[in-house]
Amino acid sequence: MERRLAIKQILIAAGGLVLLPSCLKHEGKSSILLSRIDVSATQEKILAEIAEVIIPKTDTPGAKDLNLHLYVLKMLDDCYEKEEQDKFFIGLGYFKDLDQQEIKALVIAANSEKDDVPKDLYPFYNLMKQRTISGYMNSKYVMSNLVIWELVPGRYNGYFPVKTA
Amino acid sequence: MSNLNIDSIKKQTFDAIVIGSGISGGWAAKEFTEKGLKTLVLERGRDVRHLIDYPTTNKYPYEFEHRGELTLAIKKENPVASKCYAFREDAMHFFVKDKEHPYVQEKPFDWIRGYQVGGKSLLWARQTQRWSDFDFEGPARDDFAVDWPIRYADIAPWYSYAEKFAGISGNKDGLAELPDGDFLPAYPLNAVEDHFRNSLNKNYGNRHVISARCAHLSEPKQIHFDQGRGKCQNRKLCQRGCPFGGYFSSNSSTLPWAQKTGNLTLRPFSIVESIIYDEKLGRASGVRVIDTNTKEVTEYFAEVIFVNAAAINTNLVLLNSISSRFPSGLGNDSGLLGKYFAFHNYSARINAEFDGLLQYTTDGKNPSDGGYIPRFRNVQKQETDFKRGYAAGFSAYRSTDNDTTGIGADLKSALIRKDLGPWRVGSHMMGETIPKESNYLKLDTTQKDAWGMPLLRINVDYDDNDAKMKKDYINQMTEMFTVAGFKNIQVNDASQSPGLDIHEMGGVRMGHDPKTSLLNKWNQLHACKNVFVTDGACMTSTSTQNPSLTYMALTARAVDYAVKQLKRGDLLV
Repeated sequence: MERRLAIKQILIAAGGLVLLPSCLKHEGKSSILLSRIDVSATQEKILAEIAEVIIPKTDTPGAKDLNLHLYVLKMLDDCYEKEEQDKFFIGLGYFKDLDQQEIKALVIAANSEKDDVPKDLYPFYNLMKQRTISGYMNSKYVMSNLVIWELVPGRYNGYFPVKTA
Repeated sequence: MSNLNIDSIKKQTFDAIVIGSGISGGWAAKEFTEKGLKTLVLERGRDVRHLIDYPTTNKYPYEFEHRGELTLAIKKENPVASKCYAFREDAMHFFVKDKEHPYVQEKPFDWIRGYQVGGKSLLWARQTQRWSDFDFEGPARDDFAVDWPIRYADIAPWYSYAEKFAGISGNKDGLAELPDGDFLPAYPLNAVEDHFRNSLNKNYGNRHVISARCAHLSEPKQIHFDQGRGKCQNRKLCQRGCPFGGYFSSNSSTLPWAQKTGNLTLRPFSIVESIIYDEKLGRASGVRVIDTNTKEVTEYFAEVIFVNAAAINTNLVLLNSISSRFPSGLGNDSGLLGKYFAFHNYSARINAEFDGLLQYTTDGKNPSDGGYIPRFRNVQKQETDFKRGYAAGFSAYRSTDNDTTGIGADLKSALIRKDLGPWRVGSHMMGETIPKESNYLKLDTTQKDAWGMPLLRINVDYDDNDAKMKKDYINQMTEMFTVAGFKNIQVNDASQSPGLDIHEMGGVRMGHDPKTSLLNKWNQLHACKNVFVTDGACMTSTSTQNPSLTYMALTARAVDYAVKQLKRGDLLV
């Protein structure tokens, strides 16, 4: 894990960021501007992995393609009480230092409410799942391609026949 | 006055002044300017130009930072405004923020405001029904408030006049309690709304579900094209301002119309501090205006003044217009200014499910919101233990069941499948409340707002009649739902505060007698003949209908009268 982090920091440096010595003690920050919560680049990456387990890339784009984890962070930052934010980070803590496979296993366990999943992971998971879904349904991709949202319907039919298979 | 030279007085002199640019002020502006009067319209908020100042109108949900939701900070800063269903990320710029415009709630009252050119006409729910004589005769028959000085016959031609211009869609339903109007085609009921209508027809004599009558251009006519408006495109994003002018607002309709005459001067950022009463002439001479940006005070003069500041602020302007002739507010010889204030009782709703007619769903959007149930209680005669009655909204939609329990690829396909579930039906009550002296508005004697205007104190509450009526609505609607085969009936006894109905009325009521009312049958102050009030403040009683159409008709009628009187010189004596 530490090695991965070190590599990541090198990559960030290579990407143009100047890493002052004092900054080496801190992880990089979230890629979006947040005002009430403090999110590290590592946490952001974990959230991206979790969102991808919930809404994976298939023949259509998944959570990472649609940056759903950034939407979750934006909503968490602006729309939730501090208590709820704190609970979110407590739950997120269980994913610390897990690799991709372990993250996936824990998300699947949480989703099926397995007995060995810690109770205080759920406030995090429920918010994460609900917001990942709403971010997905409200994404440009879904609204343009899968469940079309019409700006100008121009019609109303109160007796629209239901297609039968 | 002494510091003004003749030129600047001339520049500040008009034939007519209209205070407020919302639904009734816009009508006053249109009528005066069409009749050739140089008219100044004063609006306390900023300008909102049709098409130009609708910043969100063509946005997709994903273009909003929070996908339409309110942030915690905005909710906390706006505990009142954020209760309104339309105060969301896409339209909150058209609402007054609580902090900027405080008021004193002696009892909880949710005062929802839109301070801008167009006022709340940008935001309204666009439901438009005529009153009948069952409504105008209500106070006299049931012994409350005072007798209305007008009857249906007085206003009927003006309803037609307003409907033709605004564009009202509806059916001629032939109901005595809800007179037919000059309608554009109605938006038809859907399968389950029709089912409920048929069930009521079969099982109850006098209960009807009709297509909601609304201010949408279902099939525009030449008069609407002439306004630059087009057919409603069923967007149902009305609160953002409509790029098609599909629904009626001052911004899309009356104000541009008035502008075209060349007789309109629109002055935004203008708070009317008071109406100036000229003791020598025995009439109002003009208004004192505070510029909201510079706080500079300017006086404007005119021969006739229409107060259309929206019900509560109209009361404020009159209460704050003090002179030695009128020490307690302009025209307030009766001492009743600000009293007998009322609203609509919206405090209950009912939802249920229906698992029939599953061969149908809906496609597109219905701008009328579905069905309307006119008042059926105590119409012909008193028959319950409460006075008056309630109308109700009724609508149905086909639900979609999205199973979100899964995860991964399964979840993805479940989310986009949109399996159809049962129909969901809902109704909300719109009850008439009885105006009472104990429901009042008054000025705070010490606290002032940022412009030096005294804060309003609002003391309005439900009463026992409202409670009984609500109980009856819940019982009757539950029974009607049951008879129609609706299941899983859920009553939401919302107990919302008065005000959230956004149908505040009264305080400057009309009546025959100057001792018991402020305005005569022409909406003219009994005691100051060149001042008229034609917004919600003039209402003697509230009935159950959404009030805006009545304000439009009363306004057009009052302007017609005022201009005739002006030409005869009768307003100026």
